[in-house]
Amino acid sequence: MATQTSGPALEEGATGGLTLDDRVALLKYMLLMRGIEQRAMTLYRQGKVPGSFYDGFGQEAVSVGAAFAMAPEDRLCILHRDLGAHLIRGVTPARIFGQYMGRAGGVTGGRDGNVHFGDWRVGCVGMVSMLPDMMLVATGMAMAFKLQGRAHAEGRGGSGRCAITWFGDGSTSRGDFHEAMNWAGVQKLPIVFVLENNQYAYSTPLHAQFAVDPVERAAAYGFPGLTVDGNDAEAMFAATWEARERAVAGGGPTLIEAVTMRMHGHAAHDDMKYVPKSQLEEWRAKDPIERQEARLRELGVDVEAVHEEVKREIEAGVQEALQMPMPDPATATDGLFAEHANELQDGQAPYSGWRSRP
Amino acid sequence: MSSSSTETLLVDVVMPQMGVSVSEGTVVEWRKQPGDWVDADEIICAISTDKIDTDVESPASGRVAEILVEVGTTVDVGTVMARIATDARPGEAHASETVPAPATPPPAAPREAPAPASPDGRRYSPVVQRIAAEHGVDLGRVPGTGRGGRVRKQDVLAFIEQGAPPAAAPEEPPLHIESPYRPEPAAPQAPAGTLSRMRRQIGEHMKRSLETAATCTTWIEADMLAVERARAQLGITALPIVARCAIDALREFPALNAWLDGDAYTVHESVHLGIAVSLGEDGLIVPVVHDAQDFSAEGLAKRIRDLARRARAKDLRPDDVAGGTFTITNPGQYGSIMATPVINQPQVAILDLEAVVKRAVVVDDAIAIRPMTILGLSWDHRALDGALAAQYLAALRRRIEGWP
Amino acid sequence: MSVMTYLQAISDGLRQEMRADERVFLMGEDIGVFGGAFKVTDGFIEEFGSGRVMDTPLAESGIIGTAVGASVVGMRPVCEMQFADFISCGFDQLVNVAGKTRYRMGLAVPITVRLPSGGGFSGGPFHSQNPEAWFMHAPGLKVVAPSTAEDAKGLLIGAIRDPNPVLYFEHKHLYRRIKGEVADGTFTTPFTARVAREGEDLCVMAYGAMVHTALEATEDLDGASVRVLDLRSLVPLDEAAILDSVQRCSKVVIVDEANATCAAGAQVAALIAEKGFEDLDGPVVRVATPDVPIPFSPPLEQAVLPSVDRVREACRELLEY
Repeated sequence: MATQTSGPALEEGATGGLTLDDRVALLKYMLLMRGIEQRAMTLYRQGKVPGSFYDGFGQEAVSVGAAFAMAPEDRLCILHRDLGAHLIRGVTPARIFGQYMGRAGGVTGGRDGNVHFGDWRVGCVGMVSMLPDMMLVATGMAMAFKLQGRAHAEGRGGSGRCAITWFGDGSTSRGDFHEAMNWAGVQKLPIVFVLENNQYAYSTPLHAQFAVDPVERAAAYGFPGLTVDGNDAEAMFAATWEARERAVAGGGPTLIEAVTMRMHGHAAHDDMKYVPKSQLEEWRAKDPIERQEARLRELGVDVEAVHEEVKREIEAGVQEALQMPMPDPATATDGLFAEHANELQDGQAPYSGWRSRP
Repeated sequence: MSSSSTETLLVDVVMPQMGVSVSEGTVVEWRKQPGDWVDADEIICAISTDKIDTDVESPASGRVAEILVEVGTTVDVGTVMARIATDARPGEAHASETVPAPATPPPAAPREAPAPASPDGRRYSPVVQRIAAEHGVDLGRVPGTGRGGRVRKQDVLAFIEQGAPPAAAPEEPPLHIESPYRPEPAAPQAPAGTLSRMRRQIGEHMKRSLETAATCTTWIEADMLAVERARAQLGITALPIVARCAIDALREFPALNAWLDGDAYTVHESVHLGIAVSLGEDGLIVPVVHDAQDFSAEGLAKRIRDLARRARAKDLRPDDVAGGTFTITNPGQYGSIMATPVINQPQVAILDLEAVVKRAVVVDDAIAIRPMTILGLSWDHRALDGALAAQYLAALRRRIEGWP
Repeated sequence: MSVMTYLQAISDGLRQEMRADERVFLMGEDIGVFGGAFKVTDGFIEEFGSGRVMDTPLAESGIIGTAVGASVVGMRPVCEMQFADFISCGFDQLVNVAGKTRYRMGLAVPITVRLPSGGGFSGGPFHSQNPEAWFMHAPGLKVVAPSTAEDAKGLLIGAIRDPNPVLYFEHKHLYRRIKGEVADGTFTTPFTARVAREGEDLCVMAYGAMVHTALEATEDLDGASVRVLDLRSLVPLDEAAILDSVQRCSKVVIVDEANATCAAGAQVAALIAEKGFEDLDGPVVRVATPDVPIPFSPPLEQAVLPSVDRVREACRELLEY
């Protein structure tokens, strides 16, 4: 098994079919994610967001780059620092703000908080707090695609379906990580595992979590694992695209270790005293958004205009969400059981490559 | 308020007026006993009147000083039922209280109720107590075959089956306070051959109305084509549309929207519209749509539906049955075409809506088939004359046929 | 109509529903080539292939978790726990993922989990449990437990067709001991209680194997007329049927094979205390296993599991009360 454990970030040459519009879109989704989370943090301090608040500051490229490579008919299990993936699938800022504020118009209608959501109408199952439970759910989706005979495309890049899931470095210590990786390897399932290595599981650093970098374990499960610069959206896209291509062609799973840094505390209440200042300084210089902006400026893109557009979208979303009513207490016991089955629907997939498909 | 005050400040709990015509009420249950603390607006007792069964909230916070009306007793509206000592404090007995301090167990039961256990110390299961209460059985007379002579369900059933005479039959079934169960005040299983409480009270009211008013009935025939079309479109019954027309006609002839109580004749500006709702075998209740003139036919439909539902669920509030100025009764669903309704005192008129029946009628000198109905108005000749009743009905017909 | 054992009825239910609905597939340890530890799926692989009769890795969390994933993309997985006891390894996926997804996000999770449960054959502490109540306490999961061959088939098909996670507890002791007439083809049994025998002096409430214990214990009880109510479904619990039985009989004995504390019978007793009080003519009596793991050695095991004699004695005591 080829295991690329390190190596330089994929730079300019690694766009893998990205048009200029795609590259701008990557920036736009990262800006949206950061802007929404910063605005939500303000709402949190104003007391408008109940509970706790988690964000993915500094990790935007991981979810945005990987989700950008997924087709409308693919299915996703998204982690709590991966808001960008929800945005790419088509969840609107207003519904996300509504979600944070526990409003009736939020994605879960107030049933669950912060980024614990998934919109089944766009192909996503919301995460649970027990990590990495969703690795198994995504594995099950891939298993179903195979059973349904829909996984294997006629040729490459075609109509096969793939599952993708994100999980953190801490998750790799739990049994479900092993059960999912093993299962997917045994059954050669069309799935992409994105290990979001952000250096800390709450306050626990990597050296207290594992003796060997978990990307090395992929080989033990019988499929490739590679390490990617998780602060480069285009590199994340390229790696995920490759992994997806192999998956839908019957080549089995891939483990992608996205190396990044959690630049904020575990949650709003965490001052991160356990993180050395030098480490933060080092990663601040690798900010994924600044990186994409620099690239685009060189290509002559009006980056400020993208900022303005994103700002407007966020403000409109906040205003819409503030108008949403709180859920009716009389509905608190409704909907525990389903009367009818429903299933995940296709989502938005802004990558230009999906539009040119036959 | 000082706890060292030597004078007890007493607030009266009185039998409330539960509707215009209600004159008396029966205490069904005391939720508080002498010596108990009660908060203002906390339920202190339950009462039953011929209009409604309801809870009564305490008018003040304090300790129940005395209970003056026992369970099962019927008293006039305004009668003091209990007194609350408002200078008491929760958790402490006050020197000025005339009842034992809370440390002493309060009387366990109203005086008329039997003791929780019979003199021989027997205890009874919930089902045994319930059956005994329903059949007026003195459990002390029932031989027990259970462990240690305990009276079992089959024992009390056998006792009843043997035709044992009921124990010195009290008017209301006795209450057994070991059990949270309380028999319904309007005993649903009235002994064969006697009328239920509600039936009796309806009967008394009707009789009194006929004895009081000079009741006449006038009829008019109306073409319901426009109403039938509209109601199908709105998805409502004809009743709220006719009610809306009746209200408009009352505004034209306010003399019918009035009360006559003795010599006192009061014309009302607002129409508080009573709607007779059948409760099946239980009888009849007339909840009121207040300020009915303010609602559209759809709005009336919604309110009538709501009142009827709550009436059948025994969930009406006192206000819901109070203050009616005019009443509509609508028994037409069974196909009857005419009636002579009895006026709901002290109102002066009642409108009767019967079945809508297709008939051959003459329209513009041609024979047409039209949905027709006969509207009946019973009115009090003491308050008005037949001409006014006829004019009112004509105005009503005009509005019905010209709907909207 | 055919006469089948309880086990054959389960097999037949699976087979008929797999024929009727191509979305239905089976997952479990050793269920394919080997045909399952109890041979419920014997021969299935020949008819349906290894894709639909899937031998999984030894990973209970994996079985439940992947079943959830498959169910939300259009499949109808039926998972087999080799023994109900092993569900503890899949607990998190059931309780946190399967049970909460509908409520949190409006996404139905139509999975069925088959759980061979119960003791009486020296299975010891890890092959004898009746863990129904763990899941009654977890919102969003339905729990059913058949006692007859007919219900074994009907409840199973009902579980597969239900759009929610359903835990189907099949009692190992009944597999080959119980026989009955079972309708051919597919049919569903509602998740409600069933009167196993009419009677009016006392009602024994039970589910699974204890229904048969109750029937045997009260068949000839000094001439008393004893009703036996087979709960069949624990979530939803058939409140109306339970309270109706209380009203008719006024005396109730509840039998659990599970250990007593917070068992299904405890919930039934609480319900009766709350809503059936007025109809009681004696205390609600429970017969259950004491709160210990199920011991291995036969005299020890027989000492803890509710026996026909214990149930009979409890009924007698209550009848005399």
